[in-house]
Amino acid sequence: MRFSKFLKVEAEIVVARYALVSDETKSRFEPVIFFHPEFAKRSGVKEGDVVEVEANGRAVKLKVKLSESAPESGGIIPNGIFASYLTNFDGFKRFKANIEVAEGEPSSVGEIIERVKP
Amino acid sequence: MSFVCPGCSCLCDDIEIVDGRILHACRRGEEIFEKYKENRAKPMVKGKEVDIDSAIEEATEVLKDSKNTVIYGMDTTTVEAQQLGIELAEKLNAYIDDNSSFCLGEFVEAILRKELPTTTLEDVRDRAYVMVYWGANPFHSLSRHMSRYSYYPRGAKRPRGYEEDRFLVVVDVRRSETAKLAKKNAKFIQVDNDDELVDSFFKVMEGKAAKYAKEAGIILNEMKKSDLNVIFGGLGLKYGLKDLGKFVEMVRKMNEVAPLYFIPAGFHANMRGFNETLFEKTGYVNKYSFKDGKGDVDFAFTSLLQNGKVDTAVIIGTDPVSSLPYDVASKLKEVKTIVIDPRMSPTARVADIIIPSAVSGIEMGGTMVRSDGARIKLEVIEERDVNDIYILKKIEEGL
Repeated sequence: MRFSKFLKVEAEIVVARYALVSDETKSRFEPVIFFHPEFAKRSGVKEGDVVEVEANGRAVKLKVKLSESAPESGGIIPNGIFASYLTNFDGFKRFKANIEVAEGEPSSVGEIIERVKP
Repeated sequence: MSFVCPGCSCLCDDIEIVDGRILHACRRGEEIFEKYKENRAKPMVKGKEVDIDSAIEEATEVLKDSKNTVIYGMDTTTVEAQQLGIELAEKLNAYIDDNSSFCLGEFVEAILRKELPTTTLEDVRDRAYVMVYWGANPFHSLSRHMSRYSYYPRGAKRPRGYEEDRFLVVVDVRRSETAKLAKKNAKFIQVDNDDELVDSFFKVMEGKAAKYAKEAGIILNEMKKSDLNVIFGGLGLKYGLKDLGKFVEMVRKMNEVAPLYFIPAGFHANMRGFNETLFEKTGYVNKYSFKDGKGDVDFAFTSLLQNGKVDTAVIIGTDPVSSLPYDVASKLKEVKTIVIDPRMSPTARVADIIIPSAVSGIEMGGTMVRSDGARIKLEVIEERDVNDIYILKKIEEGL
């Protein structure tokens, strides 16, 4: 068991367009978060982990990828349904979130749609 | 024959299809042309599949009964369809808004009101020296922007291209892919607060000390070498600024040093078309109420939903479930939702009525307006009779 499974860390999240995680038919949107490698190392998170990202009282599970284009104190969530679920207009493109390594599969688009209109 | 890519506001007009291969498009553009037949919406009423005319008739009946309707979106359809959408809103005494009200609409409005000086992408390609990408990462959002129009081309008066004839500035809160290009003849400014950089430009011009004095001083000096410099402002700029007026004033003051123009960078293919079309009709670029005869922040799609001011939403070619905060998107369940879209988008999946339409630029021709205001004619690969024009006309006739 990894010690990081018990840690919750605060991360700066930037919401940015990321062309490679969705297709143009609106049928696919990857549940992914891009952490800066240094932030991932400090936080005990590895590429491929699933993390729970919580902000504004809502949470999603996203798969971790690493990118040096991410902010050094956190990560990028691609512009789309998962980022929109977490944000509000006070921090629409940049907000703080709590991150924790999680069990199970990443969230799906269908789950979020179900929460929007049960 | 060349086609226009409707994937983003670059509206690249050099797309060719040779033996089934899509040439010249970026990854997103290639996918739009290759996969336009996938994930298509079907006509549906309350979860049941119906024929297209029944879906249109049902939508018309809902609109007849509606007391407060909002028409929202239309940034991916043509100017001709946008004109019909605005006509429909007027006939219904409805509200009308698009993505620009939480995107780059206020920059477009400042351009249309002549508060921000602007230029064309062709002029940028041929003449621009200093080019500032502020809160924009075209690597992902406008993938061919730098290769077609700005940094890389060898322009008529910039024959040595990016190696010597361009000065690239990237302003961002992180070292984006675009920021990594800022090496020789370039500057990356990592900001935490965009207003501090705006302040720094003012202070340097007044000869005072400032947080980003060194960077601002270098940029102002480089600008003096050219008769055309440009800021491309993206969503990072929009959400990083507390006061647009101060930014507009900064651009005006920097023009006392050397010519500087502004072009919005980002947004849907024809968002500027919507802004210009509504502006011509009403004097407002978005957030307009035909009932009240004026534009106002209270008439933004997001405000109307959050404040329970509408009972029906007609959503055309856009996907608020994916793009708007949950607190707003979840209010869709409290109104009757009519979605007109070629795709089975997440918003179509929560709609009461779905009316499938055509993909602009592939199945429907017409006009779109590029980010710099140039009007671009779209070609058609495979005409589809049931498109936004057909649907909007049918609804209007049925009212």
